[in-house]
Parts: sequence; structure tokens; C-alpha cells
Amino acid sequence: MNYTGFISCILTMVEVELRRLRHDPIEIFTRAIQPVLWVIVFGSVMAKVRAFPGVGDYVTFIAPGVIMQSATFIALAYGIMLVFEREAGLLKRLLTVPISRVAIVLGRSLAGGIRASTQYIIVLIAAIIVGAKINLNPLGLFIGWLTIIYVAMGFTGLSILIASTLKTRERFMGIIGAISMPLFFASNALYPVDIMPEFIKIIALGNPLTYTVNILRKILIHGDYDILVDLFALTVFNAISIMAAFKCFSKIIE
Amino acid sequence: MILEAIITNNVVKIYSGGVKALDGVSLTTEEGSSHALLGPNGAGKTTLIRIITTQIKPTSGSIKVLGFDVISQGSRVRELIGYVPQEMSLWTELSGFENMLIYSKLYGIPSAQRKDIIEELLEFMELRDTANRLVKTYSGGMIRRLEIAIALMRKPRVLILDEPTIGLDPRARSLVWSKLLSFKKEHDMTIFFATHYMDEAERYADKVTLLNRGKVIIEDSPVRLKEIVGGNSITIKLHNSRDRDYIVESLKNSEFKITILDEKSLSFSVNNISRDLPRIIEAIYKLGVIVEGVELGEKTLDDVFIALTGMRVEETPGRLREVLSTRRMIRRGG
Repeated sequence: MNYTGFISCILTMVEVELRRLRHDPIEIFTRAIQPVLWVIVFGSVMAKVRAFPGVGDYVTFIAPGVIMQSATFIALAYGIMLVFEREAGLLKRLLTVPISRVAIVLGRSLAGGIRASTQYIIVLIAAIIVGAKINLNPLGLFIGWLTIIYVAMGFTGLSILIASTLKTRERFMGIIGAISMPLFFASNALYPVDIMPEFIKIIALGNPLTYTVNILRKILIHGDYDILVDLFALTVFNAISIMAAFKCFSKIIE
Repeated sequence: MILEAIITNNVVKIYSGGVKALDGVSLTTEEGSSHALLGPNGAGKTTLIRIITTQIKPTSGSIKVLGFDVISQGSRVRELIGYVPQEMSLWTELSGFENMLIYSKLYGIPSAQRKDIIEELLEFMELRDTANRLVKTYSGGMIRRLEIAIALMRKPRVLILDEPTIGLDPRARSLVWSKLLSFKKEHDMTIFFATHYMDEAERYADKVTLLNRGKVIIEDSPVRLKEIVGGNSITIKLHNSRDRDYIVESLKNSEFKITILDEKSLSFSVNNISRDLPRIIEAIYKLGVIVEGVELGEKTLDDVFIALTGMRVEETPGRLREVLSTRRMIRRGG
């Protein structure tokens, strides 16, 4: 398969996702209910308590964290689609089409990333409405969106890996439920890393969510574009998770 | 020159749970032919098809598709085959047209040709009017026709189908097959299909391989297979016993093999009852003989299967637990 074929396969996988979203956009909105409540209810209440001095306005502080939490949940749940496709026979056929399996995994990861990034718009608007002070520089907003797609690709890769290994929806949902909340709480999404106990701090520093939330805070709140270190950390995470997903993906139909 | 589209040589597949799904399967499919893999549920049909289509690897044995090894040259094989799995292989939240469009892109069909190819196949499969409906609103027959249309998009040299008409009503089944056969004829395509409907194998295959418990029982044309159990017969009952020898004598040079059953009855061995019955009646009528009655003895592949294995094709043998656990194993990939 040549280079253009490879790219075209990735884009076609994304196209499937966009067409699906166009036919049935409801999930995007139902998924947004929870994060919107986090910002509006939890954010506003905690802002009154002033539990974390030094973070400034609390609603503004958690808006990037909650956006990421929501996007991550969607990306992590993406694999369930593959479990369904596997049960339906769709994957059997897809894997007998003469296309690169790397392109399938990359394409599905990017598709998951784009699906997850829809949360960015909804939650951001909700946060602004309840008073979050977001820097509305278009370039910053755009880079923020790209960052979310990028890291959500990595989380979708992780989800594909889990789906390929566990293969049934019960097991898949079980493990996703087990990892998504801890991932959220052991990150800087709701509170700064400095106030965490030492061992949670270590986990938070190994958590890709922490770096993504860092980037979003810098760009969306402070207009600061010094994000290379964080991007590097995310690239390491993406490379590992997508490569592992590819390694296991062929096994999904076995 | 006749080439082999598919050759399997002593293929064994043992799933990690210890279930032996295939136990030394060797078969050959000639290029341009239609070849049926017939057997009851749990015979190993799906496992064999999944190995031929490069989805899973055999435990031992070799398989070639148009000369390419499915294990070491999987990607070459994938370029030559079209495949329709037993389960539904479409994005049900997309329309029929969108499903075809996505696959046309994955197949690398140039954008200038895409629309024409898709339109042509939708027309051919009688799906044009419903092309913009979501697939989840389609009937079983429409879904199958769309899946086949997708598989035909690249004009595969070998089309591999796993239970192509499972769960379809007779009208939908015959429509699916008429489309398949006319495409096959036009493009000289090979069809290899698994089925547990013996009439389907009999009607649409040039060659039938009977598979049971992972082993090939026998492989031949449906007509020759039925000869094992005596072939079809037409028994003529005569009014007058002296006519018996007169008929045998008069028709001894005809194409029919005649057996004397008793004083007043004769049996004609024939291949095709509906074609041969009028010819026999006409021949006898010309001799001026009075016929009292006719009995038809139509043999099916089921009779062959019963004769060779002691059980019917379309009945799941009474080992449900075993079948279920094998299916789970196949799904899990052991």
C-alpha cells in the first residue's frame, strides 16, 4: 500500500465517524451533561468554599480539567464501538480488506479523538456562561482544540488496546469504569498537583491528563504558549498507546 | 487452462481450549467454479473460511488462494478475494450508499470511478431506491445484497461467502443467488461458500464438499454425490405386465438406465426429475402403453450425508453444549 492509500485509509476512518455523528449527534450532548454539571454546580460551590488558595477563580481553574475529563471518557469508551463491530462481523470484513492495519488503528484513534473533542466546545461555552475567564484568542482556542484531539487519540488507542484484549462488552465496561475516575482524580484537573500527598503526586505526574490540562490552562487562561515539555510527554504517551493498540488490534478478530 | 482458486492441504485448527475445529481438511476449488462447503453447525465451516480469508492462522497445514500462501502472503490474498462474513458486516447507522462509499475509498477505487461503480452495483442488486436509507431500516435480504455489492466492488477473482442466505426467506434467497450467479458468469469469478442448507449447495454449486466434525467426508459434484445413494428415480407402474419387457426392449438404446422392479413396475434412473419425467412419459406414450401410476424418488444431499455419517445436515446434533462452547472459542479466537 502506498503513502496516499495509507493517508486515504486514515481519513476514511475519520469520515465514517463524522457521518455517524451527523446521523446521530445525541451522544455528544448526553455526554456533555455531566461535565457541564461539574463546572456549574461543583465549580460554583467549591469557588465559594475557597478550598484551594492560589488557584485564582475556581470555575476558571477547573474548566480545562473538566473539558479534558469529559473528552477522555469519550475517548476511553470508544473501544466499545469496536467490541460491537467485532460482534457484528464488521471487523472481520474490515480486516480482510487490503488496507494497512496500522492505518486502521491510526484512523480509528483519530476518529475517536475528533469525537471526544466535541466536548471542548460545549463545556467551554458552559464554563464561560457561569463566569469562567477564558482567553478567547482564536489561535489559542484552535491550539486547545488540536491538543484535545491529539491526546484523545492516545486515549482512544488505549481503549482500542483494551477492547482488542478483553473482547466482550462486560469486561470492557468494567475496566473502563475502573480506570476513568481514578485517572480524573489523580490529575491536576480539580486541584493543583502541589497540594497532593506525595504518592498521588507521583501518579499525577505519570498521568497524561495532567499534561493536557497544563497545556489547556496555559493557553486558555494565561495565553502562555510554553507547552513543549507537556507536548513531549503527551507524544510519549500517544506513541506507546497507539503502538500497543496496533500490536493487539489484529487479535481482536481472532 | 483450469487453475486452482483455493487449495487447502491437511489443514488442522485446534483452539487453545483444546477443541479441534478442523482435523486435516484438504480440498480444491477450480477457478471459475462455484464450490459449496456443506455441513451441520459446528462442522468447522466458519473456521476454514476464516483461515482462507487470512483472519486466523491454522495450527498446521497449508492453504493457497490463486497460488498465494494465506499465511506468508496474506496481503496478496486479501487483494484478490471478496468476503462476506456470516454476521452482518455493515455500519448500520450509515446509509447503504455511505457504506458503499466508505468501502470504495478503502478499496482505493479512484474517485472519478467511484460513483459510477456504486450506482451500477446498487442498480444491479436492486438497491437503488433504498440507497439513502439507513442500513438499520433494511430487511435481511437487502442487507445481504448490499454486503455482496460491497464485496463485488473490486471485482474479486474469488468471492468467499459464509452462510450467504442464513435466515432469509426463500424469495430473498433466490434473489441473492440469481445476482451472485449472474455476476459470476459475467466476470468469470470463483465462488466458495459455506452453507448448512443442502438445497442451496445442490442448486448453486458445481462441487460440494461435505464437512463433518472438522473432516471432509466426500467431495464431488452434487449429481455424482447423489449417485452414491442411487440418484433420482422415476418409477412407472404399468397396467399390463407384458408391456414391461416391451418398454425395456424399445428404450434400451435411450439415455435412461432402466431397472425392473417387479412384474408391473420399472424404475428409471435420472439426473433431473423435472426435465426427464416428461421425456419418459412421452416415450412410453409413443409406445402405446397404458401407465397406471408414477412415483418419484428424488434424492437430496441430505440422503448422501445420512448415508455417510448417519445424521442429517440441517439438524444440529444433540451436543448443544459442545457446539456453543466451540462457537465461543471461535469468537474468542481461543
